[in-house]
Formats: sequence, structure tokens, C-alpha cells
Amino acid sequence: MEYVIRRIGFYALAAWASLTLNFLLPRMMPGNPGDALAAQMQGRVPPETLAAMAQAYGISDDPIWRQYISYIGNVFRGELGVSISAFPAPVSEVIQTALGWTLLVGGVSVVVAFIVGTSLGMVAAWRRGSWLDSVLPPFLQLFGSFPYFWVAMLALFFLGLQWGVFPLRHSYSNDLSPEFSLAFFSSVGYHLVMPAGTIIVVALGGWVLSMRNSMISTLSEDYVMMAEAKGLSQRRVMFSYAARNAMLPNLTQFGMALGFVIGGSLITEIVFAYPGLGYQLITAVRRLDYPLMQGIFLLITMAVLAANLIVDLLYVRLDPRVRRG
Amino acid sequence: MTIKKHDDSLFAQLLAGAIDRREFMRRAGTISAAPMLMKGAAASGALALAAPAAGAYAQDGDVLLMTVNNEQQGTWSRNFNPLLGEGSSCRWPTHFGIYEPLFVWNTIQSEAVPWLAESWAFSEDNLTLTFNIRQGVTWSDGTPFTANDVAFTWNLMIGNEALPGNGARTAAPRLASVEATDDATAVFTFSEVFTIGLYPIGAQLIVPEHIFSTIEDPVTFVNEEPVGTGPFTEVARFETQIFELHANPNYWQEGKPAVQGLRLPVFPSNEAVQLAAVNGEIDWQANFIPDIENVYVSADPEHHNWWFPPTGAVVHLYLNNAVAPFDNVDVRKAISMAINREQIVAIAMFDYTHPADSSGLSDAFESWKNEAATGADWVSYDPDAANELLDAAGFARDGDVRRTPEGEALEYELNVVSGWSDWVQACDIMSRNLEEIGVRVTVQPYDFTAWITRVQEGDFTMSIGWSSQGATVFEFYRGVMSNDTLEPVGESAGENWHRFALEEVDTLIAAFAATSVEEEQREIADQLQVLYAEHAPAVPLFPGPQWGQFNSSRFTGFPSEENPYAILSTYAAERGIVMTTVTPVEEA
Repeated sequence: MEYVIRRIGFYALAAWASLTLNFLLPRMMPGNPGDALAAQMQGRVPPETLAAMAQAYGISDDPIWRQYISYIGNVFRGELGVSISAFPAPVSEVIQTALGWTLLVGGVSVVVAFIVGTSLGMVAAWRRGSWLDSVLPPFLQLFGSFPYFWVAMLALFFLGLQWGVFPLRHSYSNDLSPEFSLAFFSSVGYHLVMPAGTIIVVALGGWVLSMRNSMISTLSEDYVMMAEAKGLSQRRVMFSYAARNAMLPNLTQFGMALGFVIGGSLITEIVFAYPGLGYQLITAVRRLDYPLMQGIFLLITMAVLAANLIVDLLYVRLDPRVRRG
Repeated sequence: MTIKKHDDSLFAQLLAGAIDRREFMRRAGTISAAPMLMKGAAASGALALAAPAAGAYAQDGDVLLMTVNNEQQGTWSRNFNPLLGEGSSCRWPTHFGIYEPLFVWNTIQSEAVPWLAESWAFSEDNLTLTFNIRQGVTWSDGTPFTANDVAFTWNLMIGNEALPGNGARTAAPRLASVEATDDATAVFTFSEVFTIGLYPIGAQLIVPEHIFSTIEDPVTFVNEEPVGTGPFTEVARFETQIFELHANPNYWQEGKPAVQGLRLPVFPSNEAVQLAAVNGEIDWQANFIPDIENVYVSADPEHHNWWFPPTGAVVHLYLNNAVAPFDNVDVRKAISMAINREQIVAIAMFDYTHPADSSGLSDAFESWKNEAATGADWVSYDPDAANELLDAAGFARDGDVRRTPEGEALEYELNVVSGWSDWVQACDIMSRNLEEIGVRVTVQPYDFTAWITRVQEGDFTMSIGWSSQGATVFEFYRGVMSNDTLEPVGESAGENWHRFALEEVDTLIAAFAATSVEEEQREIADQLQVLYAEHAPAVPLFPGPQWGQFNSSRFTGFPSEENPYAILSTYAAERGIVMTTVTPVEEA
């Protein structure tokens, strides 16, 4: 129990620190949203108009500590302010429109990569030295070490542009509108293939390798030999005796990966023009939209912290040694 | 996390690189994958394979829509409030598609095209400007449009300083009153003579009184169901990744628009737009594309067209006059003479433009140019003459670098926006050029906001930058050499970053704004050009090309070099003319 309280205390501190950083970082960037607008217009708008825009956006001149206090207060009330790039839409609304797509592409790719990677790693370890074991992990590792944007652009160019197999952009066909219909959902699935697929291809190697390694050390445990000696089916030994224990490190990683889903598919979204949070963040940074930046950073940090906290607490259940820690 | 796994610097680059339309180019330099791929594909002609979806792309039932790109966003948010100003958070067609101005300034023809006003005139004393408002125009909901709407719009702008508008802010502080004397007449009374105010007044979009008078706060009004006088007012569909505007059934121009509607898919970045453009999915756009013949045109030489008239504001090299020795005109001229503009234009600008002349004016003012000013020798590349000039001014060579008479080495930093690869390349060339005359220049890239903060506060020695350009030469000379725009170093100046002013110029621009007679204005403009050519307040490099591309497979009648009825750029005010001129290609 003491351990749990200490962990929660630590996370509260970490949450406060990240809140404060969220507040300070955008303000440490030079310039203001009016300047950012000037960059976009490159002198096509007279200075008088730009000044009026800065005023309309309500750029605050309050002392920084007062801004900080009202910011912390607003966060606790769930008020994230008004976005500047989508002015006057509230930040929460902007995030809402994009969050679903990010969760979809990030969630699907993490879950699929985890399931497929862990299964492949398990089989590879079970059939040590087989064709699968000697070819697959190095091959996937090779893929995994390519820079992600390069894999994504290659996929976009060949599969999307050259051969026209998959759509070039967006999360569903522009001929459809969001509705509960088979056509719409299949369009969403079709548009998801490249964005999620490229993440999976790149991430798979890590899952396979870590599962394979942990499975191999588990396979040399006495209880596995015992199970085999008892004459249990190969299947049963592989799944219930070896894999079940070997999976623990991967499960931990999976928990962490879920936390990164929100901030993790940034490049994917940009390359495939997928309307998620990643691109919203780029727009926010480009236009110095402090409130939107803060809102998205807040969401990302909180998701990571929450995922870590859950993994920590799970450990208390899974590993008795931690409890004494 | 996918990002962490790879390359943190890439992440940083993406963030920084996403700053503007030039991201595409920037990637060419830093990441190099996309344009290389595109070029490869274009060269092999393989892109034709990818066309199948393109035909169906613009079809929506029976309506043939024109696909346009101007803004780059992650998702669309529904905002059609024209008073928020161009490039802000209202959607692109709000200006000139839904709402219209009193007249459209045509840069390329250098004339005002009557739009919601049929004619206008200044009074004898130039204090009153009277607009004769077009009759028979109705708002898209059927309500008649009158001079009352004009007066209402202006009084709203005058009473609310936080409304950026699209021109009003430059004129509003000088207006005493705006009234509709009858349905067909709007009278603007100035508190001081300011004839230049005609252009911002003509440009301001007019909003309907019967709608805008009922809203509480015009700044936060999102105007989801717009009522306008423009050609495309009907929001047929609005989703976060695409929206469509259909034609205004009550449009006042007989038989127009010929295009049934606009279709705007969201594109997050230049790469995404270019991909779609190369793929033949975009009918009209305005983006910088490097090596456009290979990248864009070759994908479909028959239909892919571009036109980049060099009518944009002239890009300058600014030398901070508050820093010695740049207050010395001979030094400024020597530096200008050492710069090989031909090389800059060919390499950094892909020959899209040409070297600037010594009037500092772009091609938009071709008819205003004074031959006595455009031919000064300090804009031609002549390192020998530059060296002589510096020798004579007492800047003696000390090995590779010259020193001031006080003994300080001529070593400077040249500020540029990181990622704006055309500018960065121009600066690299200038740095090598200047080495020949013993001036050592280090190119110093800054993130955009850091760059603009420095130039605005005068915290730099050398910097590349844009200049001001309006309907007349007034804005340019006011911005580049008058006390009107001069701020002390340390205070933010929207123009006149290089801190240069002449009292003669103040007098001349005041006289310019005090007359409404064009001949008098031209005479003053001639003198301003001579002063510019004599003093070299800044170093003009090249007029900015105005980007514009169109795909003629579905729509025709876009402006081009052969038919320059307006500028092709989607961001220009003339898009109102283009939108109502373009027609669908007749089905064969």
C-alpha cells in the first residue's frame, strides 16, 4: 500500500511538472501568433491588419504568473481555452474532431503489431533454428531500422501514387459522409491500411525480437521441461506454459505503447494526410496557437503518465517483489 | 513511440519545416525523399498510371465542382466570417467567393474593376469619397443589397478595432464618418486627406446588415450559414476533411458563375497538395513548386499549366542603416554591385523571376517606372566597380577582408528564415559574391518568428526580406524610406526594418496621398524612384513571383501569360474575377 501511495505521489508531481512545462514551453518560443500569420502571408497583409488580428485573438498581456495561475485553474475545470488557428473554436472541440482518428490509427497499429509480433516471436522461439526463426527476425529488424518517414513515403509513392492500390490521403472517401453504413466503414478500413500498415511494419521487429528472446529463456526453465515430460501437447506447452510467462515484458511494453498512441502517429498523419491530432499539433506550432499546443501536449503527457501509472500498479499485482520494494 | 524510435532531429525538422508553403522545398533539401521520388516518376512518365480516380474525384452527383487548394490545415473548422481577415481562421472562399468588395484591384492590369460599386469619385478637396453602389444586387437569401450594407460594414469596422477585415484597418483611423445617403450612394468622409484610402476601402468585403446587426460579437461569430453577394454562397457539405460550396442562385452577374461549385479537400502540407496536383486532382492552386516543368507539368503536359508573373513585392537585402558602415551609401551600393542577381534568379528561383531594377518596384508597376531611375549602375553585377567604390570610401583591404577606416573588419551575419530554401540559397550566393569584395558574410538561419522579431526590432546587420506593395507605389516607398514607418532600434517596426528615412520622401508621400489626380501621383512617383535610385536605402534583389497553377482537363478560362486578364494566384484579390470567368470544359 505504501508503495502504491508513493507511486501516486510521484505521478502527481510528474503531472504538475508537465503541466508547468506545457505552459512555459510555448511561451519560450519567440514571436506571437500575429507574427506567425505574417509568415504565412509574407507581407501580403498590411501591418495594421496584423495588429488587429493579434487583438482579436486575445493575446494576453497579463504578467506571466497571473497567466500561469489562471491556466492551472482552467485545466482543473477542463477549460482549455480558444484555439487561435481555428478561432474562435474552443480547443476541446478541435481536439475532439481529431482525437478519434488518432486513436483509431494509433490503436489499431499498436494492437495489431503487438498481437502479430508477439505470436511470431513465440513461434520463432518455439521452432528455434527453423527457416522462420533465422529469416524473419533479421528481416523485420531491417525494416524496423529504416526511418519511418522513408517507409511511409515509399508506401505512399508506390502503393498510392504509382499503382493506385490505396488512397493517397484522408480517413475516408470524399464521396461519402460519416454515417452508420457498410460503405462508410469499409472506406475507413481501406483508408487505414497504409497509415496503420506502415507503422506495423516498422514496429513489428521490436515485438518479435523481444518476445523471441524472452521465450527462449523461458523455454529453458524447469517447469517447461516438466510440462513436456508430463506428455502435454506441444500446443499446450507452448501457449500455457512458455508463452504465458514469456509475454510479461511485452505486456509491459504494450501498456507503455498505448500511452504513446496519442502522440505517436504524428509523421504518419502528415505523410498520409490523415486528419488526426498529429497534424493539428503541427498546425498549432506553425501558427503559434498556444492554447491548442497546450491542449494537445496536455493530452499526450497525461496519456503517457496514465499508461505508466497503470503499468506500475499492474506490476504490484503481477510481481510480489515490487510490493516490498 | 514512433517518433522517438527514429530520429529526433527529423521530428524537429518537421515541426520547423511545416512553417509554410515552402516546406516542400525544404524537404527537398533536408529529407530529399519526396521531390526525388516525384521527379523520378515524372521523368519515367509513370504517373499516368495513377490517374483513374481523378475523373471521378470532382464529380458529385450531377454537379461538376472545381477542386481548389489555398489553405493548408489539419481539419476544416466551419468559419465563414469575412471580417476576420484573409489567411486567418475563416475559410478561403469566404473572401471573394461568398463576400465581395466594392471593387477588385487588378494587379496585372493595374486598374480597379468595379464590383459592388459601379463608380466612385473624390470631392474637390479630396475629403469626401462617394461610391455609386450597384443596383439590382441581392444577398443570397434574396434581400436586396444597398448602400446601407456598405455603411453598416464600415461603421462596424470603425467601432471595433479587433476586427482585422481585409483592408479596412489602414483606412479606418482616417475616416470621420461613413453614411448611406440613399440606397445607391455611400459617402466616406475623411478626417484628413488620404486619397490612398480609396484602395483599402474598395477592397473591404461588404457584409449584410440584416444578418450582422443581430449578432453579439462580430469577432467570435463563425457564420456557419453565410449570406453573401458572391458567386459561391451555398454550403452544400461541410466535414472536417472536405467542404463544398455551390453556386449562388441569386448571383448578380448574369449567367455566372459558369462553375457549379467549389470543392475543398483538406491538405495538411505542401507535399500532400503536390501529390494530388501531380495526380491531376486539383484544378486550381497557388504553390511554390521547385523545378515545376519536371515536377508538375511533365506529369500531364497537355493540361498542367503554371504562370508565375513577377508582380509580387520585390525581395530585398536589407542593410541595417543603424549599424555603421551601412549608413554609408557607397557601402550599400558596393554591396549591391557585388551581388550576382542573374545567378540568384537562375539558381535559387529556378528562373521564375528576373533581377530587380534600381527603382525597387515589381512588374506590377511597369507603367509607373521612371527610366531616369531604373537604369542606375548599382544594381548590375560589377565586382570591380564595387571594389573601387570601397577603396575610394576608405575601406582598405587587409588580406581577404576589408576594414573600416576605424579598423573594424567587414564581417557580418546575414539573417534568413531557416527552411525557406529559395531565400537560403540566395543568401549563400550573396555570401560567396561578397567575399570577392572583401566583405565576409556568414549566413545565419533563424526560425521564422525569431527572424521576424529580429528584423522588426532592428536587431540585425544584414537580412533578406520582403517589402510592402499596395495598389500604388505609395506603400512601397513609405515602407522603405520614410519617417512614417521608421521606429528606433529596439522597437517593433512592421516595415522599414533597415531604419532608413529621408525627409524629402515624407513630403513626397504626403503629397501623393493628398491628391486624387493620377498625373500628379505619377509625377511624385517619378521623384520617389529617383530618390530610391540615388540613396539605395535597401538592396533590391528580384520581384516575387506570384504562384499559380491550373489543370485544364476539367475547367478552362484561367488567366495565363497569353491571356493575362488577372493574376492566377488563388490568394490574390483577383480570384473574384477568375472564379466568375472560368468555365467547365465542354464535353466532347
